[in-house]
Amino acid sequence: MTFQNKLTNDIDHELYLGKKSIAIKVSNLYKRFEDLTAVNDVSFEIFEGEIVGILGPNGAGKTTTIRLLTGIFKLEGKASIEIFNEGITTNLSKYKINFGIVPEVSNAFSDFTVWQNLKFSGGIYGFPKEKIEKRSKKLLEQFGLLDKMHSKTKTLSKGLKQRLNFCLALLHEPSILILDEPTSGLDPISVKLMRNRILQLKKEGKTILITTHDMQEAQTICDRILIMNRGKIIADESPDTLRKRFKSTSTILFKIDGVLSNDHKNTLMDTFNTIKEVNDYYAFSSNDVIRDISMLYNFSKENNLTISDFKVKETSLEEVFIHLIQKDSISMGVK
Amino acid sequence: MITDRLNRIWILSKKNVSLYIKRGPVLIFGLMFPFFMTLSWVIGRNITIHHVFIGIVSMTSFFTATAISPVVLPIETREKSLERILVSPISLHEILLGIVIASTLYSLIITSIITIIFILMFSIVFTSIATIILMFLGICLMAILGSLLGLLAAANPTDRTSDVMLIINLIKFPLLFISGIFVPLQNLPSNLLFLSFFSPITFLADLLRFCVDGSNFFTYQVDIFMLIIWIVVMFIVGYMLHKRTMPKRLAETGKTKKKMMMMKKNIEASRVL
Repeated sequence: MTFQNKLTNDIDHELYLGKKSIAIKVSNLYKRFEDLTAVNDVSFEIFEGEIVGILGPNGAGKTTTIRLLTGIFKLEGKASIEIFNEGITTNLSKYKINFGIVPEVSNAFSDFTVWQNLKFSGGIYGFPKEKIEKRSKKLLEQFGLLDKMHSKTKTLSKGLKQRLNFCLALLHEPSILILDEPTSGLDPISVKLMRNRILQLKKEGKTILITTHDMQEAQTICDRILIMNRGKIIADESPDTLRKRFKSTSTILFKIDGVLSNDHKNTLMDTFNTIKEVNDYYAFSSNDVIRDISMLYNFSKENNLTISDFKVKETSLEEVFIHLIQKDSISMGVK
Repeated sequence: MITDRLNRIWILSKKNVSLYIKRGPVLIFGLMFPFFMTLSWVIGRNITIHHVFIGIVSMTSFFTATAISPVVLPIETREKSLERILVSPISLHEILLGIVIASTLYSLIITSIITIIFILMFSIVFTSIATIILMFLGICLMAILGSLLGLLAAANPTDRTSDVMLIINLIKFPLLFISGIFVPLQNLPSNLLFLSFFSPITFLADLLRFCVDGSNFFTYQVDIFMLIIWIVVMFIVGYMLHKRTMPKRLAETGKTKKKMMMMKKNIEASRVL
């Protein structure tokens, strides 16, 4: 089964196809560094206003894909990129204006102040000084950096530098935002602020492509996830669909007041054959949560037992990710 | 469109001047080096004031011009700010011109100050206004040429300034020693005289000789023509080299190199599985 360009199985994206125009269309991306193929025949589409996450282990080709997409690396072979139906080759400067890029590590000039960095960026995009000042102040206020406007960038903490990266990326009001591990190494408050801002930007209609190692982040904010391994896309679906498709089981955990007799334990074993004791809880895998909860309720009622605590643990995206990467690696080993 | 481009080049130049003028390699190789070199050359020797003037102006112009241009790209590669510039609507030639203009301006300002101070202090007399104009034209051309030479050395896709400074010093000193600054071209043996034609400083020093005391070897037209030829060649070669090495600079330095190693390990690990 190939996942390349496979959106048809996903109802959400059928809806997208109907309602939204394609913001980014990437076909046959390929990049080789000496003896290493970093990106190998990658194709995908991103719809306007969508947040798409690229997940993958280190060296999977995520950053190279972004560099190809943003015009830093020249396209090779049959590769083509269209942004709002306009090809990359027609006008590179005009093409680049579409993007705002937030890198993993700060790439602002460290000896410039926050304001000097913004002034430089605004100037490059041809904005007059008044517009740069107005827009900068608005962004600095949104990201809580207004009081640092005249501080040198090198004196800022990692979290503040990342906020500045967001301001720099948004200064020219791009329609597409590319975030390369934007919350990596940040404190929880900064992470929360960033995620809220990303969701706010989606509401404002921005198309967002985000690379991350944080599965929780991907699950929370992404509409769709591309999983990359060894330069190829091995999955392209919404987080929920991915979880359902590749790891359909959930885990049900419960706690019973008092001590269970051996008979009760045997009955439980017969009913839920994967059951095991985890600390004070009993846990078993379930393919049908509603049915199994109902069976557990009947069991407790018939045996006069009281369930004092009860949890259903959904399959995490992290488990799906590990499963897919291992599966892909095994298939490569077979080859 | 053209005004947008010029505006971007000017913004890049201003950025380069304000960020790199105080950097260690710029101060050491741009100011301290020509100063101490001139001192060691002049002290204890019986050299005419005109000869000293030609040497000081040529060396200052050449050293200051090759100070900023080699350091910008390695530093910006290391600090990742080059990637930020590359994702904005700026072309490679705008980036390179921004560096050349910054380096040229730095050289022009420092050399002009040194030249004016020297003229006033030692009452150097010029035969006509035209020779003064010619002298400044020569200084301008050398400032552009030196900047381009520095940029050429910076085509090496490294993120360490020391790597580039090593290359530029390996080029600079032989060019200086064969240039006829220390020994006038008329006094050079024929094989060294032939070699001196391959140093652009030869033509600046010769032009300055024409302006100061008329003891030039070539005509001033030849000097100016040769300096322009050097500029054109340097620009074309530099641009082509940077165009070729820019993807390598982004792909193979710093963290990316580590990532490539990790990528290889990842593939190997997959094979084991």
